Amino acid sequence: MKHISQTIFLLFFSLSLFAQEDTTSTLFSSMDEVVVTASKTVTKLGNVTSPISIITKKNIQQAGSLRLKDILQEQAGMSITNGFGAGIQMQGLNPDYTLILLNGAPLVGRTAGVLDLNRIGITNIKKIEIVKGPSSSLYGSEAMAGVINIITENNSDKKIQLGARYGFGNPNLGWSSPLAKDVFKNTDLNFLCITTFKKATINLSSNAFYVDAISFRPYSSERITQPIWRFTNQLSIFAPVNDKNNFTFLVRNGYDQIKQNFAVNNNGAVSTSFGKETNNDLNINSILTHVLNEKIKSSLNVYATFYKGFQKLNFSNKPDSSYIDEFKQHLYRAENQNDFKFKNMLLTIGAGYIIDQAYSTRYDNVESKKQNQILYAFAQHEWTLSKKLIFTTGVRYDHNKIFAAAFSPKFSFRYIASKAITIKGSIGRGFKAPDFRQLYLNFTNNAAGGYSVLGCIDAIKIIQQMQTIGQLSEIKDDYNKLSSLKPEFSTGINLGGTVFLNKNLQLDFNGFRNDIEGLIDVRQVATKLNGAQIFSYINIKNAYTQGLEFDLKWKATKTISISTGYQFLETADKDDLANIKAGKVYTRNVDGTSRILLNKEYIGLANRSKHMGNVKITYENKNGFFINTRLLYKSQWYVGDRDGNGLLNKNDESGDGYFLINFAAGKTFNKKLILNIGMDNVTNYQDMNYLPNLSGRMIYLSINYTLK
Amino acid sequence: MKKSTIGILAMAALIFNACKNDEVKNVVVNPNDYNVAVSGKIVTVKNMAADTIVGVGAMGPYGAGKYTFFSLGTNSKIASTDSATSNWDLAFAGSTIRINGGTSGPGNGGAFVYTGTFDALTAIPVDSTFKIDQAPAYAITKGSGKGWYNYDGPTNLLTAIPGRVLVIRTASGKFAKVEILNYYKGNTTPLSTASDSIKIYDSRYYSFRYTYQADGTTTF
Repeated sequence: MKHISQTIFLLFFSLSLFAQEDTTSTLFSSMDEVVVTASKTVTKLGNVTSPISIITKKNIQQAGSLRLKDILQEQAGMSITNGFGAGIQMQGLNPDYTLILLNGAPLVGRTAGVLDLNRIGITNIKKIEIVKGPSSSLYGSEAMAGVINIITENNSDKKIQLGARYGFGNPNLGWSSPLAKDVFKNTDLNFLCITTFKKATINLSSNAFYVDAISFRPYSSERITQPIWRFTNQLSIFAPVNDKNNFTFLVRNGYDQIKQNFAVNNNGAVSTSFGKETNNDLNINSILTHVLNEKIKSSLNVYATFYKGFQKLNFSNKPDSSYIDEFKQHLYRAENQNDFKFKNMLLTIGAGYIIDQAYSTRYDNVESKKQNQILYAFAQHEWTLSKKLIFTTGVRYDHNKIFAAAFSPKFSFRYIASKAITIKGSIGRGFKAPDFRQLYLNFTNNAAGGYSVLGCIDAIKIIQQMQTIGQLSEIKDDYNKLSSLKPEFSTGINLGGTVFLNKNLQLDFNGFRNDIEGLIDVRQVATKLNGAQIFSYINIKNAYTQGLEFDLKWKATKTISISTGYQFLETADKDDLANIKAGKVYTRNVDGTSRILLNKEYIGLANRSKHMGNVKITYENKNGFFINTRLLYKSQWYVGDRDGNGLLNKNDESGDGYFLINFAAGKTFNKKLILNIGMDNVTNYQDMNYLPNLSGRMIYLSINYTLK
Repeated sequence: MKKSTIGILAMAALIFNACKNDEVKNVVVNPNDYNVAVSGKIVTVKNMAADTIVGVGAMGPYGAGKYTFFSLGTNSKIASTDSATSNWDLAFAGSTIRINGGTSGPGNGGAFVYTGTFDALTAIPVDSTFKIDQAPAYAITKGSGKGWYNYDGPTNLLTAIPGRVLVIRTASGKFAKVEILNYYKGNTTPLSTASDSIKIYDSRYYSFRYTYQADGTTTF
């Protein structure tokens, strides 16, 4: 607490020193800024009918963020999950249900549904657009909670930019000198070059990142360091072929290496594992845009992405055997989109074809290719009835080769009620296709009694085989549900808007509700002759998430801006809720005796904070100096069942709510040199059990130089 | 007015003192020790070891393979030398609970798992069917989510499901209702984040409560 008060005092002290200065730049996006993610066309922010927020390059720089995780966790309503990397939880939905795009093309390589946000460096990007609510009517699978689109630099101002950063700390001691022996470091080197060749703009960027990541093995309390290296190289070319045709080409490669030397305590037997994990991500995107006339624009987009995750571990107690885990995903996509402009209407029609392939040691055979083909078409009609009212209607149809089709309509509007008040509303369907793991996983845990988890397609095959040779003792009713694995669907409603309380005070608000049907969950489908269980994936659960979100931005003076964001969230498994209401669920008193669980004790889905929010105070003057403090808060979240009733209620295990304070300051000299200094996690808050990946207090210094 | 205030204060002081005395009494029992306490019709057993873990091998943790026998009629453990008699009603080893009947013993025992609270079960429903042990199937069903417990592989924790009552026909044909309270030492399930050694070596310590109906009727 002492640390917090000192920091706040320091902050206000420094603010008052500079408060008389002036500035023209703004941290907040103007309603005239253009965005592309909400409607797949270039639209003014003020005309967008769905909830959208923008994180600018300036926001990223001033927060000292290096990876996508760093900046997303500072946004209200964006919660970072641990486990299989850092995932994003938006509107209370799991990471599986947020589509992550790089310049409009999907990133792949998810582990257990999570796309690790640490894989994505953000030092060389232009901005991030976040659309909340179902967006499957444009983007198809995964866009259930929303879409995060990372947009790379695309302007043609020639420049060379060099950046370096050194961060240091020691979570055990709280402080460390920068070069101490036991220091935890993070280092980032960054290079960006924008040049032109004839009419073409060439953008070349390169990033190297190193961190002494600290982590705790799950279910043990050992602190380990995992040195992580991450490299990103990107080349993009924008070439206006002639006044009607534009060609854009982008190739990006991300490579991560995570060293993994640790002691594993498996059921009491300790063995030391040593090895490494690598991720390799290649994205190739080319877009040809043809402007037929003022009214018609057509584009062809060909995209390919290749992901390979590889892990090899050797064990001290078994020198001649090693554990190898390999996962490869290749996705090819061709898409055509045509925009027709009529008087007050914009019609967008598109179609595409996707080949999605995966190989994995987690399936029956690493050499065997698993493949889905998706043929899709979408249409969107944006109708500007008056200056005040815009209606957008969209629909998309995805035909999948290996499971049921998905139909995703969406309707949204924007209404300017008065000069100060804009209202937005949307209702739409979102879906997430079953992933390859849910179809093809082939995992048998020989160490723990030989139970198996099988993807639903493999489960049918294997169970039929075992049945014919008499290897099964029982087939469960749930087995019959396997043949028809469907995408998971949701219906999302968003209603909100913007209120300009005065010209310096803007309130954005949004209420949301997502009803999710047929969530895929693991269920026992059969029992082997030896009693071992066989599990598979079935569309079985129904859930909802609902909440309210506020974002208040206040330009207090010409130099001081204050923003605050808040999200209130409620979630529930509908079947659990029905059982509780029917009095069929029990809990335990402190002495262990049972009683009926009360409705008000029910918590909802795991790993969700009911309240989360942030306060950011920034001082920035026209001399290029800034200083900011960001306070982030997350309330208690429940992680595990403790009373044995199989759902989460107030008796169960939870992580404590917490505050984080991050601080940064910097100055730009001659528009060329930027020096930044910052401190993340000022109070050195740590939670070994429930926030294993939260590093302690870190101080960093960074330097950026731009040559024009 | 004044008198009554003093009266209330005096009473409060008395109650306070009484509570204090109770606390002192309770402290005597180590919360991790085996203990049988009788309170009216309800007998509560704490920390009864049931083939606790003696080591960890290639196939995981293992116990000595010995059952702990218990008599609901005498509220006491029964020596394993009496395993072939009708002196015991329940036998515990790991997550397996046997009744004295069928393949498990010479008695007239039987059981089934009832869903509901211990207190609400005042009479055994007339349409109930008592099962007997037919190894490897047991009257008190084994397996996660099937009988009285859930087992979670990733956290390696076994939790007794609340709202489950083991309805027992004893070796001598009397009836009892049993509620398993906890499977770990101290009547407390470790946190999911606890160390593996705590999860392993603190397991197989049963806390349970029961009401035994000595008159042979099916009401409690």
